[in-house]
Amino acid sequence: MPDQSTLKQLVLGRKDVQDLSDEEHALPPDLMTVNMGPSHPAMHGTVRIVLTVDGEKIVKGDVQPGYLHRCFEKESEHATYTQVFPYTDRLNYVSPMINNCGWAMAVEKVLGIYGKVPKRAEYIRVIVSEMSRMTDHLTCIGASAMELGAFTAFLYFLKAREWLYELLETVSGARLTHSYVRVGGVSKDLPAGFDASLTNCLERIDGVIAEVEGLLNNNKIFYDRMSGIGAMTKADAIASGCVGPIARACGVDYDVRRDYPYSVYPELEFDVPVGTSGDCLDRYLVRVEELKQCIRILRQCLKQIPAGPIMIDDHRVALPPKTDAYNTIESMIRHFKHIMDGIRVPAGEAYAFVEGGNGELGFFIVADGTGRPYKAYCRSPSFVHLSTSEQLIKGHLIADVVPIFGMINMIGGECDK
Amino acid sequence: MAQKVLDALTAKWADAIVRTGSAHGDEIVWVKRDSLLDVATWLRDDPAMAFDSPVFCTCIDWLDWHPTGRPPSETWTEDKPRFTVCYQLRSLAHHHRLRVEVELPEHDPRLSSLAGLWPAFNWQERETFDMYGIRFDGHPDLRRIYMYEEFIGYPLRKDYPKEKRQPLVRRDDLIDAPHKAEHK
Amino acid sequence: MSDQVTLTIDGHQVSVPKGTNVLEAAKLVGIDISAFCYHPGLPVVAQCRQCLVSVEKNPKLQPSCQQTCGEGMVVHTTDAQSTLARKQQLEFTLVNHPIDCPICDKAGECTLQKLYFDHDNANSRVDTPKVHKAKVVDLGPHIVLDQERCILCSRCIRVCDEVAGQHQLEFAHRGDHELLTTAPGEQLDNAYSLNTVDVCPVGALTAKDYRFTMRAWELDATPSVCTGCSTGCNIEIHHKNGRAWRLIPRHNADVNKYWMCDEGRFTYHDLRVERLASATVDGLPAGWDRAIAQAAKRLGVFLKDPAQIGVVLSAVHNNEDNFALARLAREWKVGHVFVAGKPPVPARADGRLKTADVNPNTAGVKAIAEALGLSTRPAYELEGTLGSLRALVTLGDVLPGAPTGKLKELELISISAHERGAVPHAKVALPSAAWAECAGTITNAKGMVQRQHAAFAPPGQAIAGWEAVVRLAHATGVKLPWVHARDVFKEMIGQVPAWKDLTWPREARPLALRFAGSRG
Repeated sequence: MPDQSTLKQLVLGRKDVQDLSDEEHALPPDLMTVNMGPSHPAMHGTVRIVLTVDGEKIVKGDVQPGYLHRCFEKESEHATYTQVFPYTDRLNYVSPMINNCGWAMAVEKVLGIYGKVPKRAEYIRVIVSEMSRMTDHLTCIGASAMELGAFTAFLYFLKAREWLYELLETVSGARLTHSYVRVGGVSKDLPAGFDASLTNCLERIDGVIAEVEGLLNNNKIFYDRMSGIGAMTKADAIASGCVGPIARACGVDYDVRRDYPYSVYPELEFDVPVGTSGDCLDRYLVRVEELKQCIRILRQCLKQIPAGPIMIDDHRVALPPKTDAYNTIESMIRHFKHIMDGIRVPAGEAYAFVEGGNGELGFFIVADGTGRPYKAYCRSPSFVHLSTSEQLIKGHLIADVVPIFGMINMIGGECDK
Repeated sequence: MAQKVLDALTAKWADAIVRTGSAHGDEIVWVKRDSLLDVATWLRDDPAMAFDSPVFCTCIDWLDWHPTGRPPSETWTEDKPRFTVCYQLRSLAHHHRLRVEVELPEHDPRLSSLAGLWPAFNWQERETFDMYGIRFDGHPDLRRIYMYEEFIGYPLRKDYPKEKRQPLVRRDDLIDAPHKAEHK
Repeated sequence: MSDQVTLTIDGHQVSVPKGTNVLEAAKLVGIDISAFCYHPGLPVVAQCRQCLVSVEKNPKLQPSCQQTCGEGMVVHTTDAQSTLARKQQLEFTLVNHPIDCPICDKAGECTLQKLYFDHDNANSRVDTPKVHKAKVVDLGPHIVLDQERCILCSRCIRVCDEVAGQHQLEFAHRGDHELLTTAPGEQLDNAYSLNTVDVCPVGALTAKDYRFTMRAWELDATPSVCTGCSTGCNIEIHHKNGRAWRLIPRHNADVNKYWMCDEGRFTYHDLRVERLASATVDGLPAGWDRAIAQAAKRLGVFLKDPAQIGVVLSAVHNNEDNFALARLAREWKVGHVFVAGKPPVPARADGRLKTADVNPNTAGVKAIAEALGLSTRPAYELEGTLGSLRALVTLGDVLPGAPTGKLKELELISISAHERGAVPHAKVALPSAAWAECAGTITNAKGMVQRQHAAFAPPGQAIAGWEAVVRLAHATGVKLPWVHARDVFKEMIGQVPAWKDLTWPREARPLALRFAGSRG
């Protein structure tokens, strides 16, 4: 702790102690505790940081999550496996389809039908997942840019995001809370004309990305505010459990889609961008590159997607067609048991993970033979990344909290569950 | 997939291990509570193991465990351990995954903290403490993370009713007490 | 070990007592061989042919409910032949089954739904019109029959014959047109008729009291003990949102096996009738603090000469409530201790489950009073003693032999769940929880102490009876150090010699029927 005179200099600028006026002498030299959030425009999804500051510089930050805790686990223990899908929508609510897919995969794993989902359903899952990944990155970059003052980038990216939301609405019926995926497949097929709409949309988004890159990449203000801020070493990133764009920005070459491939990712070609310095700028660049890779994946999917069923042909898992359910007792009973009892998953435990917008999003399920999970734990990357933020903001100015938080992409729903 | 991890573990730590298993693509090892820190340190530092990436830490409460389609003897009874704390680890270099599970009795749910080995477990152990009441010895800052300080009980335990309400708490001071004491 | 046999079922070795059938042996290893007509509490008829399995050295499939386990027997339940037989039997049962699931009461706890989904799950192969039978047949005072849904398993016929001892149901006609009907000249009106609704695997028999009121998957089940009489049949309270919807029997080999009487089933109606929800002083609502203060003040006058105080224990309340009040009576050194209860009904006693004593806890109160050294008198002797009494603290609302005029002259403090009987005349009434809201124990006529679990919270300001006693005691300067019903129990078993080895089972959490696996 510096002495009184040094402190006063720091606090008041470059004055000498003898030049301080009486009022200035009376100013307190102590560290100050400032509260940031939970209700704060830059604290995405309600997080509270209790900052101990020395002037503008952060000495210590106590990050307190939990303001959006909605008891996902406890609620899941009282709902059937299919009823958990709406809860998963609301975890990482900017990329809900990926959460849906993750949950479906986890249940399929414990059920033993993992990998037996029909090809067309897998392709549809990948298409909507990559679209969701794009909405996640567009929101993250757009919102972070806006918080640094680049309002145009925000508007452009949200416009692009809206095109994707419109398409996702035609697929699932909702912009955000899709609940589209089901155990064993998806609930509805892609609408007619989806191919053409998505192709058109991707072309336009290509253009928007180019525009925003032109606005931000060589922008002195953006560069100064992002470069060197919130840097993390590769070793720290690994030991802190960081995954996704944040880990990749530090040089950790890990992507679930490539390293533990699932669904139809083995049939798709894509690159995994990896950064070097782990600061906010690298995180931004990794995300922009990932956006371009998402577009690449989507174009391949549209070419390769086969015709076929969208739900596994297993009576333990698939609902019967409505005409059968209304006209035969057998299908009526089957429909009834599916809805009321849920899909009965034999006792066991399994952990399944997908590459979410923020990295490895996993679900750890303990099943007990009934139609509802005994335990449904969500391994949320945002929670892990938020825990690193205490280290990242130390030594920086209060104003640096904004880009650091923005680029961590801490989604409150996923962090607090 | 990681059978050789299990083999290496049973070879080196025979008396620390209760049993091993494999289910749905995961390798699982049940470790005795007292040996957890030693086994975990070895798992991280041994070059053939190299479990450098922490994935998650959580707990399972077996109180209501009554699996259908299994023999009645598998139902939980008072003499069986009530909690199982699970740590999932991954190795970036060797590409293998492992789940380390520790069984804890109801009356004494404590075990050593692994936050010193993998910083990611700092917050995750706090979450497990908050939700299940598991005490982690050696944890640098074991306090609630999701729930507010005045919350009574451990919500994810099976005997905490979902509908239970707790009184709304009003705080008139901005800074929480422990923090206040510390930075003075 | 000559009374055990070892056999192999699907590769699992299992050892069972001699005389066990293969179906029960399979349950021990977690194998569910489907069955409709088999019930462990009823004679075996092997009528439905759903439980057929392959037994080695036997060319034909055997019904596992009837096949006794033999030493070294090898049974296969998942081979092609048994599996096909099971599927075909289910298909056969479903051919004429009406598509009633959306309107059927049994939906959600229906054995036919469960077995079809678990063992068949195939699409229908017929599109011929189904056979039609009568849909709403009034069988008797409590039960309605839907003949189309009946799968002719005969469980209900056996229940009437064996449990009630009266032949009131039988089958008529045959083939496609066979149906269930009442025996000539009979109605389904025996005292155990509602057990047929429990055992019916489908929604053919429905209780008038319950039908169309609630769906099974909405309910939570909490175990408890019936308070209709001193048998203490083990029951489950099926409740939702703080309200009980029905009671069904729970298996207890020593008390009630699988059954309970109809009267006991209706005791849940009393939980919502005339409940005392707030503490009252002189008939007007007051808070607990004021009511306790008033009670203490009014009693305080007489505590110096406690011979003028009487305490009435209740054979309707549980052991903990009675023990608390009896302990307080002893601390106060009261002059008179009475035991109140509903008067006996000799016509009820039928040698099966019903007893003449309609109070659930007579034996318990007796044991407690004896253990604490209190000499008690039956409450109908109250009238004679009223002259020497100035204050009366009662548990419960039943107070026979006490004319209301005389009661009004006393300082009457009532701890009661209901606002009836003597309670409206009380100077201070303290609301207590009723049996379904209490964690406690009651003692049946055989001396067995059984645990009741609380299904939901009591209404309004009501708390457990023993807790009300603790507050009253505290206000009169007596410290009773109990925080939880378990604490009362622990002290109680320390005092009552016959109960010293009892343990307090953990509070049962409500079991969601939706996920309980259709135990019907």
